[in-house]
Amino acid sequence: MTHLLIEPFEVAFMQRALLAVLILGVLAGAVGVFVVLRRLAFVGDALTHTVFPGVVIAFLIGQSIFFGALAAALLSALLLTTLTSTRRVTPDAGLAILLTSFFAVGVVLVSRVQSYTADLSAFLFGRILAVDRAVLIQTLVVAAIVLTTLVALRKELLLRAFDPEGATAMGYRVDVLDLVLNVLVALVVVAAVKAVGTVLVIALIIVPAATARLLVDRVASMTAISCGLGALAGWLGLAISYDVSIQRGVRLASGATIVVVLVACFIFALAVGPGRRALARRFGGPPATSSTPGAG
Amino acid sequence: MPTEDEARAEALVIRHAAAAYDRTPVLEGVDGVVHAGESVALIGPNGAGKSTLLKAVLGLVPVVHGSITVLGRPPLAARREVAYVPQADTLDTEFPVTAGQVALMGRYPRVGWVRRPGRADRQAAAAALGEVGLADHAGRRFGSLSGGQRQRVLLARAIAQQARLLLLDEPFNGIDASSEELLLAALRRLRAAGAAVVVSTHDLALAHLFCDEVCLLNRHQFAFGPVATTLTPDLLRATYGGHALQLRGDSVILTQP
Repeated sequence: MTHLLIEPFEVAFMQRALLAVLILGVLAGAVGVFVVLRRLAFVGDALTHTVFPGVVIAFLIGQSIFFGALAAALLSALLLTTLTSTRRVTPDAGLAILLTSFFAVGVVLVSRVQSYTADLSAFLFGRILAVDRAVLIQTLVVAAIVLTTLVALRKELLLRAFDPEGATAMGYRVDVLDLVLNVLVALVVVAAVKAVGTVLVIALIIVPAATARLLVDRVASMTAISCGLGALAGWLGLAISYDVSIQRGVRLASGATIVVVLVACFIFALAVGPGRRALARRFGGPPATSSTPGAG
Repeated sequence: MPTEDEARAEALVIRHAAAAYDRTPVLEGVDGVVHAGESVALIGPNGAGKSTLLKAVLGLVPVVHGSITVLGRPPLAARREVAYVPQADTLDTEFPVTAGQVALMGRYPRVGWVRRPGRADRQAAAAALGEVGLADHAGRRFGSLSGGQRQRVLLARAIAQQARLLLLDEPFNGIDASSEELLLAALRRLRAAGAAVVVSTHDLALAHLFCDEVCLLNRHQFAFGPVATTLTPDLLRATYGGHALQLRGDSVILTQP
């Protein structure tokens, strides 16, 4: 066990990678709780895709990828909040349009570059082993901002998630709270760009929180489990991908391995957790055992 | 014990008000006064504008004509002292929140941004749950309670808010008899303490039992006045149009409540 979980992290670049996934795991786990409670998985997914063109543009003009992602993230969080509160387009259609158009712009831009495939995969799936000091510091700063905001606005975000009408009646600006949460999700995507890429980060946000929801019935314990699970899966996934790549000579993408570990945890919780009945209720219960032939 | 002056204080004054989401009013000609310690039932068929009127009092739907004055101020300025109680079954029953936490939410506007609820807030929330007969349910998940219990938790939230005007949207829909009894008892105590209560309801018997006045609505106001002289077969027939059937004597049946 030691050789799997401790030994890989004796080298500096692996230590940095570990630190990055631990921070990201906690960060994404915490934000994910509100994303899951608000049932905003699709919004989160859209944000992960809309950050992509910002990354590409920054890369093409030789600017910091971090700030490119940041600019795109803030812009898309603003657009998303406006789009989902308008009545002229249904929210899901609006999201789908925003998601695909931003993503397409990113792909068009990156396809003009010589090293097209390599760059594309780096942006989409990240290069965890290329995490350097600067990236770590950026990740830490973003984590500090996001976690502070979450702690500060905990009760307001909770009230808005539970009873938006009641929150409005009490005098809270629901649209402002929505913008805050969207910006927080976008910031997590920005923090995760280098390490796990823009596509897989949605799994880091959704899966730990959804798993925690299956196990417990309180927001506080849900948050603790979600953060812990995010960090733990990051560690385990990184260790497994390193072990398999080095010891067995099979290249395993670390970001994807982390996601596979997370999904395994989710399936385990689904099988054993007390929440499985609640989930069955939500999705309309188990399929019928016998089908009735159609009547004419 | 409220003094004579306070008891007659105007909690809600509506003057020839029309409310509209955009340009066309969905509700017109509403006119009436609710005093502190009084309760009014909003009665009318589905889509009559009962919820719209509640939202206009909260300042969430614009008043395009006339005026609505809440505790002497415009609706938005009075919001801290107005509590809105939604229908329990509009809320997510899978949400991981306890009855005690929901009651505590009524304290959030007082606690203010960033700060966490203190001991006094927790005591107020616990006392409010006691008021609706759910003191020993504080740790239960909100969604695991019965419909009537959830409705009582939402009233507890409004009690914890210590509002002077309570707006309840169909609080008696589909709840059990004992919950109804406990809700009514809690509302009577609030009234005795000087709060004004506005209830939208389909239940004419309850309006008779609990309210001082009724407001008959269907896109516009048909009547606003004391229960005894306003909840009459003629006025109900006028309000409900073709959906009211005259029975023998004074009875009216509403086919589309």
